[in-house]
Amino acid sequence: MTGIYVHIPYCVRKCAYCDFCSVPRDETTEQYPDALCREIELSRDRLPYEGPVPSVFFGGGTPTALPAEALIRILETVRRTYEVRSDAEITVECNPGTATYADFVKLRAAGFNRLSLGLQSANDELLKAVGRIHTYDQFLTAFRAARDAGFQNINVDLMHGLPGQTQGDYLDTLQKVCDLGPEHISAYALILEEGTPLYTQVRAGEIALPDEDAVADMEDAGMAFLKQRGYERYEVSNFAKSGYECRHNLIYWDDAPYLGFGVAAHSSARGEGEWLRWSNTESIPEYLRKLRRGKLPTAETLQIDRKEELFEVIMLGLRKVKGIPRQAFLNRFGLTLEQAFPDAWLNVQANGWWADSPTHYALTKHGMDYLNTVLCYFR
Amino acid sequence: MNQSHIRNFCIIAHIDHGKSTLADRMMELTDTVAKRDMEAQLLDSMDIERERGITIKASAVRMFYTAADGEQYMFNLIDTPGHVDFTYEVSRALKACEGAVLVVDATQGIEAQTLANVYLAIDNDLEVLPVINKIDLPSAEPERVMHEIEDVIGLPAEDAPCVSAKTGLNVEEVLAKIVDQVPPPSGDPDGPTKALIFDCLYDNYKGALSYVRVFDGAIRPGMRIRSMATGHEFDVTEVGVFTPQWKTVEELTAGEVGYVAASIKSVEETKVGDTLTDVEHPAQEPLPGYKKVNPMVFCGIYPADGSHYGDLMEALEKLKLNDASLSFEKETSAALGYGFRCGFLGLLHMEIITERLEREFDLDLVTTSPSVVYRVKMMSGETVIIDNPASLPDPSEIDYMEEPMVKASIMTPPDYVGPIMELCQNNRGIFEHMDYIEKDRVKILYTLPLNEIIYDFFDSLKSRSKGYASFDYELKDYQKSDLVRLDFLLNGDMCDALSTIVHKDRAYPKGRAVCEKLKDVIPRQQFEIPVQAAIGGKIIARETVKAVRKDVLAKCYGGDISRKKKLLEKQKEGKKRMRQVGTVSVPSDAFMSVLRING
Repeated sequence: MTGIYVHIPYCVRKCAYCDFCSVPRDETTEQYPDALCREIELSRDRLPYEGPVPSVFFGGGTPTALPAEALIRILETVRRTYEVRSDAEITVECNPGTATYADFVKLRAAGFNRLSLGLQSANDELLKAVGRIHTYDQFLTAFRAARDAGFQNINVDLMHGLPGQTQGDYLDTLQKVCDLGPEHISAYALILEEGTPLYTQVRAGEIALPDEDAVADMEDAGMAFLKQRGYERYEVSNFAKSGYECRHNLIYWDDAPYLGFGVAAHSSARGEGEWLRWSNTESIPEYLRKLRRGKLPTAETLQIDRKEELFEVIMLGLRKVKGIPRQAFLNRFGLTLEQAFPDAWLNVQANGWWADSPTHYALTKHGMDYLNTVLCYFR
Repeated sequence: MNQSHIRNFCIIAHIDHGKSTLADRMMELTDTVAKRDMEAQLLDSMDIERERGITIKASAVRMFYTAADGEQYMFNLIDTPGHVDFTYEVSRALKACEGAVLVVDATQGIEAQTLANVYLAIDNDLEVLPVINKIDLPSAEPERVMHEIEDVIGLPAEDAPCVSAKTGLNVEEVLAKIVDQVPPPSGDPDGPTKALIFDCLYDNYKGALSYVRVFDGAIRPGMRIRSMATGHEFDVTEVGVFTPQWKTVEELTAGEVGYVAASIKSVEETKVGDTLTDVEHPAQEPLPGYKKVNPMVFCGIYPADGSHYGDLMEALEKLKLNDASLSFEKETSAALGYGFRCGFLGLLHMEIITERLEREFDLDLVTTSPSVVYRVKMMSGETVIIDNPASLPDPSEIDYMEEPMVKASIMTPPDYVGPIMELCQNNRGIFEHMDYIEKDRVKILYTLPLNEIIYDFFDSLKSRSKGYASFDYELKDYQKSDLVRLDFLLNGDMCDALSTIVHKDRAYPKGRAVCEKLKDVIPRQQFEIPVQAAIGGKIIARETVKAVRKDVLAKCYGGDISRKKKLLEKQKEGKKRMRQVGTVSVPSDAFMSVLRING
């Protein structure tokens, strides 16, 4: 079953750490929804697809940088073009300050049933330091408005390892957020990406990040706190109340098929035999131009051979606490993981990192801390 | 040519005092090379004849000079290796000459190494012609330098030509003086052939070549010759000179200098200092002074990437073709895998070779701590020679050990005497003598253990004297010394590549310094790594590399996969460049970073 991702590349302002495809709103913003709808319609019967669709995810950028009406029109186009399950998870990402109660009501009524709010930290100074456009108060307003508008499945994005952040700060944020009771919390360690303003500032010595031990302490303390508050870790950085794991993201980690629409969106699905991954152009003008001419905006298609597919299934699947179902692995590749990677299997075993599970290939907490090391064994 | 019209000479100068420039001007004035070809400094030809991957040394250049009397003279300018480790080679090159042009920078004065070479020249009965160079510079003090030459060396210098090799000023005067003052050779052209080998090199087309100075008799193609020390015999295929192009000649006669090509397979078969003679009419006695040169400093050289072992071997073999003083044999290290134990004449020689391996052969290397050659007296009465700390016998079987000592001579302005003496003292130096050779130049003599100067002594000397001090040393003798092997353990496993033999008093500071450095250069791993220094079984220093806490990408979604795979690829590549010491992965660079630490 194929998931659908829709990319909205606009933001009020780009954050200092962000290396996603996002730009300020400009003259292309108005034409963008039409082009998106065009792409969705054109894609039907031209891209590999197995229905019905279990999940639709509007990400960005900031999807709510577009008017609610535009998002709704795009969702309707998806529904008209593809068979979306009646119980599908339909998520929209939102930054505080970009949507009102009225917007949430409209979105909810149109079928969006999951909201992902970017908070990052409850400390306004930290928010300012990394170029966020909102305050904690604005987040609170947005959260309550969404609840009032009927969103019963809300995710809050948080970060640790921000410049100047202490463990106290981070736990304070977690406490405030947990008190609000969202169904899902994503808690990421800041990744310093080359080419971002934050990277430049850190390199120039203008800004200092907490050292790696301090970040690890925050992470471990955060995990313990979340567990105690009823949020179960189910992926490296993701926590949910029981039954609220993000279905859309699980598609990625299961290496299951998905179609991505919009500029710079990625797709992944089995073509005729081989697994394929392709991406759309990263240029908004080119994206608009191609669709005006009735062409799909695909920029690059990668053929993933058997060996790479095996690796990707492991690289993504071991991110999940539950791991990779043994039977699914056997069905997909016709052999067990031990057979496919006997040396890697033993290396992980020697470290004591395989979790004790008869049904899944899964790592212990310790093993997950060293996931990159584990994956190098498989490379 | 008639010997009365031959002049064989060399130029002695400190680095940067203008040896190459003066040689260039001489070649120009004698029309040996046209001015337009003079872009490169010809005698310094390390970089010139690179075409076949092997550097060709211009060991001797032949020029013809027409003197004021209208007579034409043959000049053979013989190059001398320019640094402290090659004293023996220098002495053989000097032996091939009757005269030496001593070039002194008018702005600097005499340096320690120049002095050492001048004494060598005098010992070899050479006529030394002082020349004051760089008189075109505003800071030139020719008067002061002349006095210095007279005071320090005892050579009359009032008639020394004051030249500017750069502009060519008065260089003609030097040529005239060479004719007047350097004695012509005086061998017996009809006697049994005696030719001194003063340099060897390898050419891809001609094979191994010997540069010779013919003293008696002659060498011509077709002759069968014998290397008197090694006993090898060869058929001469070609004789010639460097002008500075290869030029074959019919014969090299008494007093002449040139190269001999014969069916010589490797430079090993003909040694610098050996005498070539005619097999049919052999000389009774070889020329005096031949000695077998033994390497003084050893270290292990390994490829940073183990798969380049073959490339390293090939590169060493190529360098060896031109450098008979380099020795190497296969060696295995638990930490570094397959590599070579290499022997060098000294630390500079070692640096030159490792740099050439990296630069000319594009190899990434790991070298182990340099070691000198120790004499180990066993309880059994036997003496064992050790050049590798790993092969040191069990301490309980050792009666005592001896280490090589050198006589070091340092010249410096008086301002730096204090810091320099402190440096020597810190390196277990024994003060011998101090001489104010002039009001602003001091000569200090120390006896130093060779093993103390093979680390950072040179660099420290330079930094303590703001670059003014110069340094020369020669092997003196072996002395009984309280030596221990200092080992390093990573997570409890000994790392053989880091072991080193040190004086007992140096073991603690060195052990601590190396542990501290290792702590910084060993990347954090999944477990805590104790880094320990030990003598015998006893731990004398310890540092800890803390465990890495997280090695995981926080985010990985649909669009990230290719990029995140590349990150893992990079991490994996990094791991490949690591060496495994027991359970610990150590980057190749880590071995290098502790080399120069001397506590």
